[in-house]
Amino acid sequence: MSSVDGRTFPERIIGSRFSAWLDKRVPPSPQITLSQRNIFIFPTRTGFVFSGLLLLLILGAVNYQASLVYAVAFLLGSLFLVTILYTFQNLSGLQLELVNARPGFVGEDLEFTVRVVRPQGKSREGIQLGWPSGIMQWAELLDKEADTVRLYVEAQRRGYQDPGRLLVETYFPLGLLRAWTWVDLNARALVYPKPVFQDFPISQQGPRDEGQLIDPFGSEDFRDIREYRPGDPTKHIIWRSYARSDELMVKQYASFVEPRLWLNLDDVSGGIEEKLSRMTGMALKATRQDREFGLKLGNLKLSPGLGDAHLETVMRELALYGFTER
Amino acid sequence: MDSPKGKAALGVAYQIPRNTLALLMIAQVVVIVPYLLHLSPWLIAVGLFSGYWRTRVYQGVWDYPGRWVKAVLVVASIAAVVLSGIEGFSLEAVSSLLIIAFALKLIEMKNRRDAYLVIFLSYFVIAIQFLFDQSILMALYELVAIVVVTAAMVGLNQLHTQVRPLVSLKLAGALVVQALPFTIVVFLLFPRIAPLWSVPLPNSSTTGISDELTPGDIASLTQSDEPAFRVIFDGERPPPSELYWRGLVYSEFDQGTWRVGPRLLPQAPRVSLEDGLRYAVLLEPTFSNWLFALDLAEPGTNSVRPTRDFRLEASEPVLSVFRYEVRSDPRGLLDPGVLPEFIRIRETAIDPTSNPRLTEFARSLWQQTGSVVAFTEAVFRAIRQEEYFYTLQPPTYTGAGTIDQFWFDGRAGFCTHYAGALVYMLRVAGIPARMVGGYQGGELNPITGHLIIRQYDAHAWAEVWQPETGWQRLDPTAAVAPARIEQGLSAALSAADRASLSIFSNARIGDWAIAGSLLELIDSVELRWNLWVVGFDGNVQSGLLKSLLGELTPARVGMAMLGGGGLSLIVVLIVLFWRRRTLPRHPVELAFSRFAARLAAQGYPRRPEESPSGFVTRIASQVGLSDAQVGGVIAELDTLLYNPSVAWGNAELKQLKRQLRRLQFRLAFGATR
Repeated sequence: MSSVDGRTFPERIIGSRFSAWLDKRVPPSPQITLSQRNIFIFPTRTGFVFSGLLLLLILGAVNYQASLVYAVAFLLGSLFLVTILYTFQNLSGLQLELVNARPGFVGEDLEFTVRVVRPQGKSREGIQLGWPSGIMQWAELLDKEADTVRLYVEAQRRGYQDPGRLLVETYFPLGLLRAWTWVDLNARALVYPKPVFQDFPISQQGPRDEGQLIDPFGSEDFRDIREYRPGDPTKHIIWRSYARSDELMVKQYASFVEPRLWLNLDDVSGGIEEKLSRMTGMALKATRQDREFGLKLGNLKLSPGLGDAHLETVMRELALYGFTER
Repeated sequence: MDSPKGKAALGVAYQIPRNTLALLMIAQVVVIVPYLLHLSPWLIAVGLFSGYWRTRVYQGVWDYPGRWVKAVLVVASIAAVVLSGIEGFSLEAVSSLLIIAFALKLIEMKNRRDAYLVIFLSYFVIAIQFLFDQSILMALYELVAIVVVTAAMVGLNQLHTQVRPLVSLKLAGALVVQALPFTIVVFLLFPRIAPLWSVPLPNSSTTGISDELTPGDIASLTQSDEPAFRVIFDGERPPPSELYWRGLVYSEFDQGTWRVGPRLLPQAPRVSLEDGLRYAVLLEPTFSNWLFALDLAEPGTNSVRPTRDFRLEASEPVLSVFRYEVRSDPRGLLDPGVLPEFIRIRETAIDPTSNPRLTEFARSLWQQTGSVVAFTEAVFRAIRQEEYFYTLQPPTYTGAGTIDQFWFDGRAGFCTHYAGALVYMLRVAGIPARMVGGYQGGELNPITGHLIIRQYDAHAWAEVWQPETGWQRLDPTAAVAPARIEQGLSAALSAADRASLSIFSNARIGDWAIAGSLLELIDSVELRWNLWVVGFDGNVQSGLLKSLLGELTPARVGMAMLGGGGLSLIVVLIVLFWRRRTLPRHPVELAFSRFAARLAAQGYPRRPEESPSGFVTRIASQVGLSDAQVGGVIAELDTLLYNPSVAWGNAELKQLKRQLRRLQFRLAFGATR
């Protein structure tokens, strides 16, 4: 059985030297074509057991002097050799390309979309892809020449996450050999802070009489004076003016809410990561409530806006806060 | 085993793909069927029943057997092996146990590892079948079996959602066919070494003469038309009546049975035979050391040595078709001059009281004749002139004095009866005489010109010693049934005897010209098969390689192995990579990558993780273009690049290119607008 990270025998032994060597051997590139330069091949444990079986058969053939038992052993041995070519060929010529890396929140799964294209001609079978920390997925290249495979990796930390090298492997056709490669598709996905939802802090209510009128007959802010109409509350009548001019005038009040929120890092409590989480939560909440919001993040100030593109820009800033990498 | 699939299957029990399971079931039947001839039907039943059980498990009707059920099954199967009367450490016992293991493993086969175990056991069971039978038909059959088993292995590594046993079979067939050239190279060049230790042998299926001879033995051999050996003469071929293939010499007689007696030391080297008959024998497995040759024979093969009684013996039991070269001199004398005393004692030992009537008869005959020649002539005359019959179904002679009963009462018998009676009489008279067993005659195959000697050609005759001639052949059967010697068994038999032998009632088909030549064709194919495949041992190998490579050095053999092996693998490589062309780059991809390069020059680089549409979306929002302005391009890009179900042509491509150019233009001025 494979170890948890999907690495089997050779890598585990050679370890970190291997990865340095690998960087030279299979340099990072968003698109890569597999060839003898970057495909590795080695017998599996099944393959070794199979070889043991061959030795037993040859031993039997020697002791029984049976030509056809020799023949069976040699045929199975040749099958093993032919399989080396088949297993290698199964990976050789495949083009791998990172199509999309969908951002996600910490704790969620990041989705990477990898496109696998095979050369025309022979179909490919039993090809698996996966990041060391994810689950292996099959690429289906039997009847079609290209397949897009979605691979998921758990988002660990805020910022850009590099899932590492992508393992592409095959045991086809007999499972006696494993051909594999570790390709670096330059994959990275943006990880947003884990959102924490809370109410907007008071100071985020902007200055009075800015913002949107939400209740023209509210009772908070003075708005206008007009003639009394039946039904107006009597406490709004301006008695002083009635005494002067005989006209019954009423004060009109209205309620205002400041909808243009300013999300300011300094206004939320907690450690820096917690603050960013709360900011993320508020940005999401504001977008959901269709409220324009701006962002103040240290020196950075993003003017208020609304919509998915704005949200993405804000979240990117939140995700990358404190990182130099853009 | 090594696959991360185990990981993918967390929480869900791993199911062996239906494809593989079906192929394994077929493979199991195919692999076990040939054993019907050797093994107890109970074992076959266990094998097939466990296959059925596993199918029911797959269907979800039955469960995997519990621990107790398994224990009961194992014990019951081993009991079946013991009860089926197989002797202790024989090949049958070993293969029975292997088949049980194979069958029972099949029931509890749950994961990939179990499936591989069953597959590997299948290969083993296939190979062991060749210890019983190496005929060309069996070889072809087992080749098919190997393809089926390999297909099961292929199925294990194919995409599980696609259940297509035929595709697996086809691929497995291609693999096996492509492996054949390399197999042939290795088969020809791999060094053959002598057996390392002795192994259990089959105990039931040895047909052929043995080192004990009772009169009924050879009569029962006539029931078999299996080939005993084939002979290829190099040059002159004697007439059938001269073809006495000596195999065993029986010196001891006791209670109706002839035995070979204690082994004598091998004979001192003889004078090398200059001329005489030269021939090669392809002996079918006898699981014994003795070989068959004509007259005074000298072996031409290293592992064959002559014995003191002028037979040939192999250094190892003949377990597989064995080819040896012989040079024989029909005029050569065996032990002429003085017979060593210990041999004289050995070859005259007889208990005259065992058959008193014949003892009396022989003594009086010896007194009348006085010479060996006159004595034997008198016996032959008696056989010819009195009422003696040659038959496969003689009356049963039992108890004491079986030769007496035959000679005086029954007067009907087979070659062994007559030869036995003659040897008895000669020994009573004090003349060294012995029984010789082997084959007589042989059938010529006109296609290849070889002789085939079948089991029904088994024969026994006598040898008598005289100082001037040494050991000389005396065949009383020639007196009672001359046709047996001149034309073969079939001609010598009465209608009743013929009818009793199924082989000859079948052989009448052989009287039809077409069927007859078909049988000859099959025989000639079998000869070549035995010559080049089954009988391909160290001797044949070094002969062939010397003629191909000249001097045999390890370097030359190694080079041949590398060259031949490399060539046969290159063939596979060509087959594999022949039709491969790299897919030209997707035209939409090309158009987009040019667009991205131009944007990068304008200061909008594409992030490595961004998809084409993601890139356009980001740049558009950065510059402040509305969704309406870019939405069309984005949708178009995604469709043309990644939705294979949408057909598109040049028109769509051109339009996309135009859209991209317009977008680029907008972006260039977007910031200022």
